[in-house]
Amino acid sequence: MEEIVHALLGLQVGLTTAIALLLVVGLLLFKLLQAGSVLIAGPKYAQFLAIRYLLTRPINLVGMLGITVGVWALVVVVSLFSGVLSVLEGHLHAATGDCVATGVPPWAPWPKLDAALRDDANVAATAPRLLHYGLLVRPGHRPPPLPLPGRGALHGGDQPFLFVLGVDPAAEAEVTGFRQWLHDPAIPPELRAPDASNPLAPRDGLPTVLVGLQRMQREGLRVGDRVVWTTARLVPDSQGNATPEKLQVELVVGGAFKSAHGGFDGNNVFLALDTMRGQLAADDAQSVQEIVVRLHDAGDAALLATAERLQRALHRATERMDRGYGTVMTWREKNANFLASVEHQRGLLKIVLIVIMVIAAFLMLATLSMMVTEKTGDIGILTAMGGTPRGVTSVFLACGIVITLVGTGVGLATGCLTAVYLEEVRQAVRWATGVDLFPLDVYNLDRVPYSIEPLWLLQVTLAALAVGFLVSFLPARRASRQDPLVSLRGI
Amino acid sequence: MSAPVLEAIAVTKDYRLGKQPIPVLRGIDLAVQPGEKLALLGTSGAGKSTLLHVLGLLDAPTTGEIRYDGERVDQRSVAERARLRHRQIGFVFQFYHLIPELTALQNVMLSGMMATSVLQYWGVRKAAKAAAIAMLEKVGLGHRLHHRPAELSGGERQRVAIARALVAEPRVILADEPTGNLDSQTANGVVELMFSIQRERGLAFVLVTHDENLARRCDRIVRLRDGAVVT
Repeated sequence: MEEIVHALLGLQVGLTTAIALLLVVGLLLFKLLQAGSVLIAGPKYAQFLAIRYLLTRPINLVGMLGITVGVWALVVVVSLFSGVLSVLEGHLHAATGDCVATGVPPWAPWPKLDAALRDDANVAATAPRLLHYGLLVRPGHRPPPLPLPGRGALHGGDQPFLFVLGVDPAAEAEVTGFRQWLHDPAIPPELRAPDASNPLAPRDGLPTVLVGLQRMQREGLRVGDRVVWTTARLVPDSQGNATPEKLQVELVVGGAFKSAHGGFDGNNVFLALDTMRGQLAADDAQSVQEIVVRLHDAGDAALLATAERLQRALHRATERMDRGYGTVMTWREKNANFLASVEHQRGLLKIVLIVIMVIAAFLMLATLSMMVTEKTGDIGILTAMGGTPRGVTSVFLACGIVITLVGTGVGLATGCLTAVYLEEVRQAVRWATGVDLFPLDVYNLDRVPYSIEPLWLLQVTLAALAVGFLVSFLPARRASRQDPLVSLRGI
Repeated sequence: MSAPVLEAIAVTKDYRLGKQPIPVLRGIDLAVQPGEKLALLGTSGAGKSTLLHVLGLLDAPTTGEIRYDGERVDQRSVAERARLRHRQIGFVFQFYHLIPELTALQNVMLSGMMATSVLQYWGVRKAAKAAAIAMLEKVGLGHRLHHRPAELSGGERQRVAIARALVAEPRVILADEPTGNLDSQTANGVVELMFSIQRERGLAFVLVTHDENLARRCDRIVRLRDGAVVT
């Protein structure tokens, strides 16, 4: 009963909020349309005079330019960030699969886990992984230096500390972009894995490691080079406590890989699953730590529902003492922090740019107010000719509306155009000044990405129109309150 | 004698200086017949311009009534008074009050735009333009249609103002010192022009002036002193 009451209350609050929001948005739209209608349905002299005032007073272009720049910046910067976010999402999705099961306990055998997950009708493929870490150093060389300040997870190839992924190449290729990463056109022929069908096959009796292209090039590694993987493993002592033990494994470089995400390439290397198991968990011949999963239907709703079902299946398969282990996450949940940080940056930029637009609106307010002061005489004669206070308001409101409409329209058009040709703009700026506005290697991109979101354009347009009309209304209202006699006597 | 087109009945007007009322008009009674030329004569500060503004519904009387065609109009709404000003009254001011951004033709055309919406005007735009051109030709400015006020002489500017006042075909012209800013020769030309159009159209004409000679050219003179009619 209590749950029903809570649900009803929740529904009521939700409905009230939705209705209030609809009313506010509706009222705003109505006011915008009403104000905009001055140009069509308002008195002719208002439109006529507004256009002449604007054409003969270049100072009004300052306000228009301010609105244009504000809208332009909002469109360009947010389109760029949305593009980057979209590309990064694609990269992360390709590296993670649709779902991933992590924290899988060592006692759960892979065939049992695989069967439990594949039992779900939406699961198309699974791939086991072991995860470890360490340094990869060429014999006789020092480990690479620490990364430069400011270079973080996005940057590839200069992190000395690596994550080592133990994978089954055939299974991995079914779930992630593993196969494409080995065939990326950017990989020079001499750095490609010689046997792409089995890239982690041992060479010269040594286990093979696949290294990110950027790291290989930075460290001058070639296929067939020997490297030493230095790490530690936990060994149980006589009292049953785990103590770390140094481990060094000689490996041979099998080839380069290149995903679309520089951070992934720079921070990870691939080893064969069996090699990892042999070195780290020889006693658990069937253990895995992580399972990546590809789904038949990876749409948002199906993804979440499947993740929940897989979570239950995983717990059943790992149950011990009435408790299940391991966590199943969607690819978005797995990368939530990283995606949220980019989204957060985009949000902050939106706020900064909206402040710029508000400043532009104040600029417009100042120029319009100045015009009202200068046009006191005109207000008097318009009243004498039969103009009403409302009509006089319309003249100056129409000025503001024209400024806002043209400013917003030009801002939207130039903003979309700039976003589409951002790469050409970047190249032109770099050619002219030597400054690279958007270093592509940071994101492993071929060109500056963009994503023009219609909803964002609509939001920017509505915000610009609302701000523009509001600041137009204030001086227009002041004009309507001028005493026509004062203005008629004033000259 | 026909019914007056415009009447002021016991009109008073006070302005306030702080809490102190300053009487400017003190019980003015006035009637203007159709086709009549009436001069309001008085020294500076006599209340001539204030009376003109009250008659033209630009200002409200403190007490008393303003009637057009026998109907009281001073208590009507702002919009109704504005409509009445547009349809019935044409103003001519000493300082012309032309809009500097507009050409002579546009200044005159503006009058036709006052009571129509953008959409309505679209249907009458050609006729409105033709009427404005005809009116400017009538005042002798057919060759100055596309000149802005800054490019016109004082007399030409006042002719444009007269054309603007007449193009809406009002029944009453209220002129406040229309020649006060012109040399005598130009002023004479402007007065001749105004009176000839007034005669031709049978307009009621109220002329505020402190020029005795000009006032004598009107049909009737009403002298104001300290806000009251003295003759």
